[in-house]
Amino acid sequence: MSAFLTLTAANIRSFVRDRTALFWTFAFPVIFILLFGAIFSGGGTPSYSIGWVDQDGTAASALLRDGFARVPLLKLQDGSLSASLDAMRKGSLNGVVVVPKGYGAAVAAARGSSAAGAGAGAAATTGPITAGPGTVPLDVYTDPSQQTSSATIRQVVAQVVSTTNLALLGGRPILATVDRSLQTQDLSNAAFLVPGILGMALMQLGVFGAVPLVAQREKLILKRLGATPLPRWTLVGSNVVLRLLIGIGQAVLILGIGVAVFGVTVLGALWLMVAIVVLGALTFISIGYVVASFARTEDAANGIVQVIQFPMMFLSGVFFPIEIMPSVLRPVAAVLPLTYLGDALRQVMVGGSPYAPLPLDLGILSAWFVVCLAISARFFRWE
Amino acid sequence: MTGTDDAPVIEVVGLRKRYGEVLAVDGISFEVRRGEIFGLLGPNGAGKTTTVEILEGLRRPDDGTVHVLGVNAAHAPEQVKQRIGVQLQTAALYPFLTVTEVLELFRSFYARSRPTEWLVQAVDLGERRHAQTRQLSGGQRQRLSVALALVNEPELVFLDEPTTGMDPQARRSLWDLVLRLRSEGTSVLLTTHYMEEAEQLCDRVAVMDHGHVLELGTVEELVTRRFRERAVHFDTLPGLDLAELGRLPQVKRAVIEDGETVLYTSDVAATIGALLARTETLGRDPENLGIRRATLEDVFLDLTGHALRE
Ligand SMILES: Nc1ncnc2c1ncn2[C@@H]1O[C@H](COP(=O)(O)OP(=O)(O)OP(=O)(O)O)[C@@H](O)[C@H]1O
Ligand SMILES: [Mg+2]
Repeated sequence: MSAFLTLTAANIRSFVRDRTALFWTFAFPVIFILLFGAIFSGGGTPSYSIGWVDQDGTAASALLRDGFARVPLLKLQDGSLSASLDAMRKGSLNGVVVVPKGYGAAVAAARGSSAAGAGAGAAATTGPITAGPGTVPLDVYTDPSQQTSSATIRQVVAQVVSTTNLALLGGRPILATVDRSLQTQDLSNAAFLVPGILGMALMQLGVFGAVPLVAQREKLILKRLGATPLPRWTLVGSNVVLRLLIGIGQAVLILGIGVAVFGVTVLGALWLMVAIVVLGALTFISIGYVVASFARTEDAANGIVQVIQFPMMFLSGVFFPIEIMPSVLRPVAAVLPLTYLGDALRQVMVGGSPYAPLPLDLGILSAWFVVCLAISARFFRWE
Repeated sequence: MTGTDDAPVIEVVGLRKRYGEVLAVDGISFEVRRGEIFGLLGPNGAGKTTTVEILEGLRRPDDGTVHVLGVNAAHAPEQVKQRIGVQLQTAALYPFLTVTEVLELFRSFYARSRPTEWLVQAVDLGERRHAQTRQLSGGQRQRLSVALALVNEPELVFLDEPTTGMDPQARRSLWDLVLRLRSEGTSVLLTTHYMEEAEQLCDRVAVMDHGHVLELGTVEELVTRRFRERAVHFDTLPGLDLAELGRLPQVKRAVIEDGETVLYTSDVAATIGALLARTETLGRDPENLGIRRATLEDVFLDLTGHALRE
């Protein structure tokens, strides 16, 4: 045990003192996240795409749509409920507003008895507007993980609804546009990006682990250790622990930036997050060992690693959803482990729409891990 | 498993190792006794490192048996690693760790270990103890590599060209260290290209070439076995040809090496008398005339046909 701890401490020291390695491990994902976050967030006035589901189909509901359409912040897209929710899951809509059947009738009734339904505007600040007797529930779907967009949409909807209510009660249509300056950025992509970047960082950490490993073999350090009574599992275990620690460090850093700079909210359970980070790191570490099993020199290892990591970075839905990828590339994405790590992280962290069910994600990652473990156990050379 | 005190610490019988086409070790046998310093000599590619690394449990033999401290090194190398010390021909160190950190790391691998300070002092690295190994000079790195072989107070130490890259002072100080280890009962197997090193340190040597052991014994034995004669040497004189010199009384052999004529003779006085009589007829005296016993270097030349260091 003392050998294990001393070796791990030595590995950590070596890693920390190697400034170049340190820089690439931590600065690279940070640069990536800030860069792509900035590109995707864009400048200018933010706008949100809202699915408009009119199940009523009366003049009153058309009038209500008119009211929403005048809000410059919103872009309405008409559609059925299932189609709109689907589009929202895939990220092309930021929210969905549903006008239920019976809205027109309720409006007519309200006009009849102008005293009823008072105070509906005040209650309209939260999600699906709570329906009392004589009122019509207006379902508003938003993604709570996308804090800013969700809050903005709800506020705007509440404003429009209360204005409409007022107009209905007062008998005059006062559907003036809500002209309120909301100090927000469009963060619709940050919540997508952060789990992806985390997955990418873990992938690079693991796969690039092949390079120092091959270097240690080339410098005969592994051979020298082989002449001591140190068990091989201690050597491998200590290397893996080092990589895991770095992976967790990266996760904390990347999530920290996601939360602090881009306002991403982490929804899922922490233990599940940690478990996925660890499984993902292990999977890619084992891929690193496979590379190290076949690369003879440090340069060769570096080359192979680039060949593996570069396409994976762009074909695994890290920067954009797989759904919008050309169909010829989709089968490639479907076998890459990073696809499933990114998907699992996205589902658990920000509740994103799943590419695959979570158990399938974890199963495929585990399969990659087991296969790579077997390959490296068979082919890894110490000298 | 461990034998009695007078059992050999290393026993090699019929050892063979092939790398593809190359027969690196071709059926060698020897033993190293407890408490002795044993030297493996031989030109580049003779098979020294291969032999040593098989004994250390780092390579598998193709044929033959090797016992180290009574343990079959081919079958159970792990059993013996606690008790041996290893210095590889190429120093392999963690570049970003300091001298003391590397020593501490290796100490943690063993059940028994020498104090770090003892090790640092033993190889004169006191002033560099806080330097990272990538900042050490080649000779210093080599010294650290030797210190690592001593971490676990081993019964048997393998040193593969330990003094390569060391300055004369460091080399002498390493010789002292090796002799001190022997006086404490440690057995040592070392390889070297330096004849002087072998003569100074080794109780017995084996001369290897092309995977064979050509000669084995004490330095004294090796020299007298081959050269019962003394060597009379002088700066080569023009006008004296080798054939003529070879016919002088008692001369067994005459050679010219590096501008020096060497006559191997069983009667120094008779040979020198005849030589001086002959040179007088030329009207010249032989310059730098001297007499010496044959050395290991001569043995080496005779055995392998070329000098140890090319
Ligand atoms: N891993 C290897 N693969 C192939 N051939 C090898 C390997 N190691 C050694 N050899 C060959 O085996 C022969 C013996 O090599 P070895 O290293 O044992 O020689 P050595 O006596 O230690 O030489 P040196 O004095 O140069 O250190 C050489 O011809 C060498 O080229
Ligand atoms: Mg060698």
